[in-house]
Amino acid sequence: MNWLEMILVALDGIWVNKLRSSLTVLGIIIGVASVILVLTLGRGGQQKIMDEMESMGSNVFFVYISQPEDGDYDRYKFSTDECKILRESIDGIKALVPTAYSAPQVQSRRKKENCTVIGTESGFNKIRNITMVKGRFINQNDDAAARRVIVINQKMSDDLFGVGGDALGQVLNVDQTPVMVCGIFKTDTGMMDGGPRPMAYIPINLYLEMNPNSSIYELEGSAESKEQVEKVAQRVLKSLEIRHDAADKHPYMVFNMEQQLQSANKVMSIITMIISAIAGISLLVGGIGVMNIMLVSVTERTREIGIRMAIGAKRQDIMVQFLIEALVLSLMGGIIGVILGLGGGAIVCLIAKIPFTVSVSIVLLAFAFSSIVGIFFGLYPANRAAKLDPIEALRYE
Amino acid sequence: MIEIRDLGKIYDTGAICLEALKNVDLDIEAGEFVAIMGPSGSGKSTLMNIIGCLDRPTSGSYSLDGHDISSLDENQLAVIRNQKIGFVFQTFNLLPRLNAMRNVELPMVYAGVDPVTRRQKASEALDRVGILDHARHRPNELSGGQRQRVAVARALVNSPVLILADEPTGNLDSKSGAEVMALFDELHGQGSTIVLVTHDAEIGARAGRIIHFRDGEQVK
Repeated sequence: MNWLEMILVALDGIWVNKLRSSLTVLGIIIGVASVILVLTLGRGGQQKIMDEMESMGSNVFFVYISQPEDGDYDRYKFSTDECKILRESIDGIKALVPTAYSAPQVQSRRKKENCTVIGTESGFNKIRNITMVKGRFINQNDDAAARRVIVINQKMSDDLFGVGGDALGQVLNVDQTPVMVCGIFKTDTGMMDGGPRPMAYIPINLYLEMNPNSSIYELEGSAESKEQVEKVAQRVLKSLEIRHDAADKHPYMVFNMEQQLQSANKVMSIITMIISAIAGISLLVGGIGVMNIMLVSVTERTREIGIRMAIGAKRQDIMVQFLIEALVLSLMGGIIGVILGLGGGAIVCLIAKIPFTVSVSIVLLAFAFSSIVGIFFGLYPANRAAKLDPIEALRYE
Repeated sequence: MIEIRDLGKIYDTGAICLEALKNVDLDIEAGEFVAIMGPSGSGKSTLMNIIGCLDRPTSGSYSLDGHDISSLDENQLAVIRNQKIGFVFQTFNLLPRLNAMRNVELPMVYAGVDPVTRRQKASEALDRVGILDHARHRPNELSGGQRQRVAVARALVNSPVLILADEPTGNLDSKSGAEVMALFDELHGQGSTIVLVTHDAEIGARAGRIIHFRDGEQVK
């Protein structure tokens, strides 16, 4: 008996009990669709986080003071001169700047708002991917003279000057200090901080002037390449420990984007795997449904099996007939499940604004898995059919 | 063509040991029309199952058309059933989902005959039993007599050496029964070997030879 004929016989067997077959297939559909959906969303989310982190620059590293044993923060704090010396003396470093954060009230002629204001130096835009929309970033003259300039993001410009308002050259009051807007940069999506926020940069020396009680406790830098990040960060750490005579106290910590990226990736993969394993259980339940229905089908068709055996069907012919029937059921579920899973994934990705990608390996995996389910759960009923005694089967009412 | 020597069949269910057949010796020549008769429980069905290669004897030997059946494995028996034997059952045993044509094609499907040849031979067989014009009908659209004709066509289609009929008129009214018996006569006339199991003396009388069974033994 050739394969095409066996498949036709199997399809016929499925077609006879349309409702029953479709309910069985539904079990597989739900299993496959949920696995595909979870994996697709997991991949999309992972991609989104990667993109977000990449956009910050994956060569980036941070150095900060972390709970020195003696608690003497002032002894370990950084200065702009020190930062300059490190920048010029360490191999493989592209940029290194001090950073200090505050959240003052910023006032335009129209409006007041709390914004994140970061004090830094001109090299900062070599570290982070800052896209200027208008004007310029902080330059070396601003650094040296602590000029009263501010670079704001588009969001802050929209908030304080209205959408379409021209902020460039306007004056803002930051904690009562008037500063002039010298540039506007593109707002990032701020996925890590819960959405786009108003944000601005001012020269670090201006920042220290405006916040006399504050000091520099953090440096931000970037390496020439992604591969060097770890080494460069360690070199900075070593130099700082020597300069502050603190080799045994470990007051400094370094942290780099690449590390962060990898651990985020790892966490995301684990979460995806756990959820898809749970979704996989529904596929297993679907498989049990296939087995259940195949057992019923074998019992119902006992007489048919007897007739087929009497006119010359071998046991393996009967076995293959029922196996193919189980396989066709689960593959139908697999195909529809893949389509629904990908469709659902595309819709959710669209709504959640995460990138949607079709992974061939995930689709193949789903097919392979549903075929295995079909064969595994079809094997027992098919074997039971093949083992029937033809005489008994012919007598079966 | 059929040689049965000292054949016995014991059903051993553990608790009960039933001797269904004992010391059966039987020869049937090619072209014979033989009726096996006996009351129910006489062992005639058991014998038919053994002759039909659906069951195997516990002791003794059975050879069909030169093949020693007791030495064959299950797959070989399936081939023998497919190639050498044509079954006609009391309850017709047609597959309800398939039309007459496809029912008749079924033995050739398992024989691996290509679809074109299959269709052609099935048409010939249906024509031979006079029911070709109902080829597209499913069993439930046919009368009992017509169904049995389809079953006979299915039995003939692989040109078997033996046609084995188990109470072929048992579920038919007398008119249809007579028609089916006339068909067997005709096939016999054309040279087919027919073994017919029945408890109806009138039907048995149509055969060339009658073999009686009682309590698992041949009545000499």
